[in-house]
Amino acid sequence: MDIIKLKHITKQYDDGFVALKNINLTIESGKFYSLLGPSGSGKSTILRIIAGFSQPSSGQVFFDGKDITDLDAAKRHINTVFQNYALFPHLNVFENVAFGLKIKKQPMDKIKPAVKEALHMVRLDGYANREISELSGGQQQRVAIARAIVNEPKVLLLDESLSALDKRLRKDMQFELRAIQKKLGITFIFVTHDQEEALSMSDEIFVLNDGMIQQSGSPVAIYDEPVNDFVARFIGDSNILSGRMIKDYEVEFANNKFKCADGGIKPNEKVEVVIRPEDLDIVAPEKGNIVVTAQTQLFLGDHFEIKAVDANENEWLIHSTNGVKLGERVGLFFDPEDIHVMRLNESQEDFDARIEKYEGDENEN
Amino acid sequence: MRNKHLIARIYLSFTLVLLYVPIFYLIYFSFSSGKNMNKFEHFTFAHYQTLFQDNRLLAIFLETILLALLSSLIATIIGTFGAIAISAMKKEAHKNTTLALNNVLMVSPDVIIGASFLIFFTALGIGLNFGSVLLSHIAFSIPIVVLMVLPRLNEMDYSLIDAARDLGANSWQVFSHVLIPTIMPGIFSGLFMALTYSLDDFAVTFFVTGNGFSTLSVEIYSRARQGIDLEVNALSTVMFLFVLLLVGIYYFITTKKSRRKNHRVIGGLVK
Repeated sequence: MDIIKLKHITKQYDDGFVALKNINLTIESGKFYSLLGPSGSGKSTILRIIAGFSQPSSGQVFFDGKDITDLDAAKRHINTVFQNYALFPHLNVFENVAFGLKIKKQPMDKIKPAVKEALHMVRLDGYANREISELSGGQQQRVAIARAIVNEPKVLLLDESLSALDKRLRKDMQFELRAIQKKLGITFIFVTHDQEEALSMSDEIFVLNDGMIQQSGSPVAIYDEPVNDFVARFIGDSNILSGRMIKDYEVEFANNKFKCADGGIKPNEKVEVVIRPEDLDIVAPEKGNIVVTAQTQLFLGDHFEIKAVDANENEWLIHSTNGVKLGERVGLFFDPEDIHVMRLNESQEDFDARIEKYEGDENEN
Repeated sequence: MRNKHLIARIYLSFTLVLLYVPIFYLIYFSFSSGKNMNKFEHFTFAHYQTLFQDNRLLAIFLETILLALLSSLIATIIGTFGAIAISAMKKEAHKNTTLALNNVLMVSPDVIIGASFLIFFTALGIGLNFGSVLLSHIAFSIPIVVLMVLPRLNEMDYSLIDAARDLGANSWQVFSHVLIPTIMPGIFSGLFMALTYSLDDFAVTFFVTGNGFSTLSVEIYSRARQGIDLEVNALSTVMFLFVLLLVGIYYFITTKKSRRKNHRVIGGLVK
């Protein structure tokens, strides 16, 4: 069921800066969404428009089928967890969590169990009487979540909510957020610039850049089949080479012809080829699809990051569990499925249509 | 290292002694039975007795305090709203202009302000009495309140306001439940500064008091002109103790607050 729909949303600030250009998106209830993009991509602006803190210059926001574009933030069934938590410093944990219910004039005998339940949900039992300043960053984060979920919103918005935490705590909170979302069964919309965070938590990701949605889809789809080189570069590391389509399922790049899994592109069309660094296997030079010379190597704990150059001066990034000797010639092996072909300037609609078409062809054959 | 500390301590003690000696000298002679401060005769409470029998002076003392409380309270309310309005201004130029106008009032000599109030009140035909003094005290206290409240507003994390709206608060609830409590420490310091400003003031009051009303500073000044009476010493001692009490209360309130919440940024990620 669709719970939120943005239709042709544009946002232009007074100084002329255009933050959002014709955003259309649909949020289904009960799923975990991420708005992923670099800073300035407009992801937080979308969140603020959904929450009601700012008004779109044009376009409409629908909630449960009703137009809420002009509805005050206070009257929306949406709650927000802010980037820096925005906890009220003059109130303690209980009063912070109870704030929304008190504003709604709920009786105290209803507020108490609700707050207790919310604090239990974020594993802060027994913290009700603490002052906010006595809490660690992670605990403050949990209070902020409890303060939002105690109002039983249909949609919870999280604005870069994990970015102030250190790495280990952030990992823990990722798991926990996902668990909370599953338990409550409500929609989470999570804004982040951290692609790992988005990939690990989301059911669906919207990748944004320059105020436009570049691609939307499941984490796997976005990682494996980026629609353009922005998405390919932003989500994970990638080797992007320019090439030429020979025919369906055959592409030329780095002066070689390779079998690939993509079709539906005109022969001889210029394309870009993406190969993920972890899909490259280091083999003996004669066994490889391409022969490269290793130039630099970094040990990153769980893998080596190797930079190498082929005979045509193309740079290759390789993730390998084993190191190589620098200056040594090695072969790189990859399967046809590891090659992802991108057409230049292809929109997501065209991309989806093309995939549908040639995958349909495949099934008929 | 030790030596350095020693010099620093001597310097500090010397400065404090220098600052407090005149006051203690005054207090010391308030217990002297003589008529003047040339020689300490013998210990007596006589001046305090005359002071507490001097109904005119006691009335003035109470009126001065009433004036200080009333003017600082009203100035704090007006000044707080003023500070909120200034911080809410969108254009930086408007903000700076208003702030500059505010600061000009702070810096300009009391004599000029007092004289201008006198001209203003006489031009409008307002009688010089408690009302005129109260109005002028409120007027010169507002800028200091604005200056004390504004930093708290600037430090405030504005997502607190978004958060309150997000949780269903209307404009009034945002104001009363979030904005005011968050800037309360600033409001408190503003109130105390306004209080001391009002108690302190001589020049402005001197211009705008009429026959019916006088404040302590004006009264002491006019008495001192006829030669210092040791009753004034006794009064000064009482005032000194009163101010000491005020400062004590202020210190108690602020340290109690900051012990619980010793963070610089208000709201947001509290460390």
